[in-house]
Amino acid sequence: MALQELNFSFKPEKNFTSFAPEWFHSGVVGSGDMEVLMEHKKQDGKVTVKVVTPVTGFDQVWEKVLAKFVAETKIGNLHMEINDNNATPFIVHMRLKQALFEAKGDVES
Amino acid sequence: MGMTMLGKGRKAISMILDEGSFVEGKIDEYTLPDIGPGAVIGTGSLKGRKIAVIANDAMVRNPRFPVVYSGVIGMEEAYKMATTVYKMIELDKDKPQGEKRPLVLIVDTPGNGPGKVEELFGMNKATGAYQLSLAEARQHGHPIVAMIIGRAISGAFLCHGLQADHILSLSEEFQTMIHVMPLAGIARITKRDIESLTELSKTNPVFASGAGFFYKLGGLEELVNSVDDMKDTIDRHITEIYKCNAEGNSEKCRPSPFPSPSVLKYTPLLPWQTHHTYDV
Amino acid sequence: MRKWEEMQERSFYESTARERAINLVDKGTFTELLAPIDKMTSPHLPILGEAVSFDDGVVTGVGKIGKRPVFVISQEGRFIGGAVGEVHGAKMVATFRLAQQSYEKIKEKYPNDYESRIPAVVISFETGGVRLHEANAGLLAHAEVMEQIQHCRGKIPVIGLVGSKVGCFGGMGFVVVATDMVIMSDRGRIGLTGPEVIEEAMGKKEFDASDKSLIYRITGGKHKYIMRDAAYLVKDTIGDFHKQVAEALKMSYDEVQSHRCIGSLKLVEEQLELVKIAAENNFKDATDVWAYFGNKKSDQIQDQFYDEFIREAKRRPRR
Repeated sequence: MALQELNFSFKPEKNFTSFAPEWFHSGVVGSGDMEVLMEHKKQDGKVTVKVVTPVTGFDQVWEKVLAKFVAETKIGNLHMEINDNNATPFIVHMRLKQALFEAKGDVES
Repeated sequence: MGMTMLGKGRKAISMILDEGSFVEGKIDEYTLPDIGPGAVIGTGSLKGRKIAVIANDAMVRNPRFPVVYSGVIGMEEAYKMATTVYKMIELDKDKPQGEKRPLVLIVDTPGNGPGKVEELFGMNKATGAYQLSLAEARQHGHPIVAMIIGRAISGAFLCHGLQADHILSLSEEFQTMIHVMPLAGIARITKRDIESLTELSKTNPVFASGAGFFYKLGGLEELVNSVDDMKDTIDRHITEIYKCNAEGNSEKCRPSPFPSPSVLKYTPLLPWQTHHTYDV
Repeated sequence: MRKWEEMQERSFYESTARERAINLVDKGTFTELLAPIDKMTSPHLPILGEAVSFDDGVVTGVGKIGKRPVFVISQEGRFIGGAVGEVHGAKMVATFRLAQQSYEKIKEKYPNDYESRIPAVVISFETGGVRLHEANAGLLAHAEVMEQIQHCRGKIPVIGLVGSKVGCFGGMGFVVVATDMVIMSDRGRIGLTGPEVIEEAMGKKEFDASDKSLIYRITGGKHKYIMRDAAYLVKDTIGDFHKQVAEALKMSYDEVQSHRCIGSLKLVEEQLELVKIAAENNFKDATDVWAYFGNKKSDQIQDQFYDEFIREAKRRPRR
């Protein structure tokens, strides 16, 4: 019954960009939704992710979605923590990209 | 199975107060409005000490508000209770600390008035008014002891009980009930099976129902195991509260278990003072 | 995050708790306390397999409106219906305590000029009350918040805002009316007992819980404005709420207090007169109550636009 915690680590793309802000938060843990906390972390470009979710049995789906996000965005030196409440893979991917986009915007303004 | 005091608010008054001392419907010379028959209010003495008592009578119906019966605190009842508390503050305003008269709440209520007129005219205001009056009475130094003899449920417990300095309860053998919602209801809403919830509640009293769990959480000051002990126990707690107030420790008089140590690990970020620990 | 100017135009109802909190105070002044980075999640939800949130469903912080520090508590209805758990409640109470500490410090620093600088507490309510997953702690939290409101009396104005999707129900339904001043939008709702429970108690003939329009009439901003449970009714933008709070902070403390519904014997007596009216009349609907207070076209009120309603509404007379 307890919540489950999944941990992932991804090697960055060769030409990665470091996540610059100290931290950035986005999203609300509504039903079918999630929040993500992105933190800058010097770790040889690696992207580490902790997912906390009530849903079991989707470890591989998470891994795929997260790997896709890392590959597409070429982001590195990032630690993410996700609190999920039954978000679909599509929502997860969208929220992460949105968060990263907003995080960059935040730095520029 | 011991006896139960469920529905016996009036009997509890006679057991707790000195014989023949209860004067109903009046606070000194002030006559309370003749409304809210489910709220039994008056003054009397407890081991010689002058007190005011506010109790529920579960045996009467409010003739004007059909959803108010069986100890339900409706709008009239809650405002009558609040009026009592404000009158006490007013009447004792020139008395020194230590002489402000105690308020004893005898608690047996299943809830606030669940009706349409209640929503239209503001049941929320009535129950809120009673809570604010009690919080103000405590600020002035009136000791407040709540004695749960039957049901202490959700919003009604919040107004009639949870603003007390000390909360006492007859133990569960007396079929006392303390909860927001019975475990079965919680199971339905949280979509968990009741067996695992029951199991979990043994180690985490934070959502379980019942006097025992509420005591473990620290929400109750003392469990009373015999109806004959109610009088002495209340008296002892009044003395303790006076003492606390005299020492300028009014915060300590009301040892709330909230928040618990699991939350207090964030202490550096929160300006808390705490006096309690989980007793699990 | 969208710009502050843009957010002033945005629907309060549609916004998140964090967007409301940041943009209710002056531009660029908001500092979140116990922000997501502090990862203060509920210790109780994981045991029940329930999703957690870094803010436990409430955004707390401090900003400024003019010279005044404004302590903000903003509940998030999307997370478990904004229900109050232990961390959520602890953050609320801690915010009140910080406001009181700040009051004392300001008074000490500006002994002759502190009145124009005293802090305020602003709560944006979006909640169904006690979180059942941690019910006992939620119950205690409600009692503590009520006590904090009492502690603020005579010192710090406490202003309640209701214009959110979930509204303000259950135990928080009495917390909101215990504040000094309630500001609502038409879309905001306040109540104590849930519609299903009322139907259960009264029967479907007397009260149909599926009749959304009836429930809106009874709990909605217009009714609360006519009853004076809400001091002000504003349009549904963050900017309109911000402006009304700013107006309130220009008032003297006594003037703010004059908008209280409860909190003294005099106010209780005033409410008791209302209860007498309720007992003597057989009101079936909010429209009957509106008509009683002199609203001739009471059946049209629910459809009226904001400006027309404000212009024409007859409110309960104060004694």
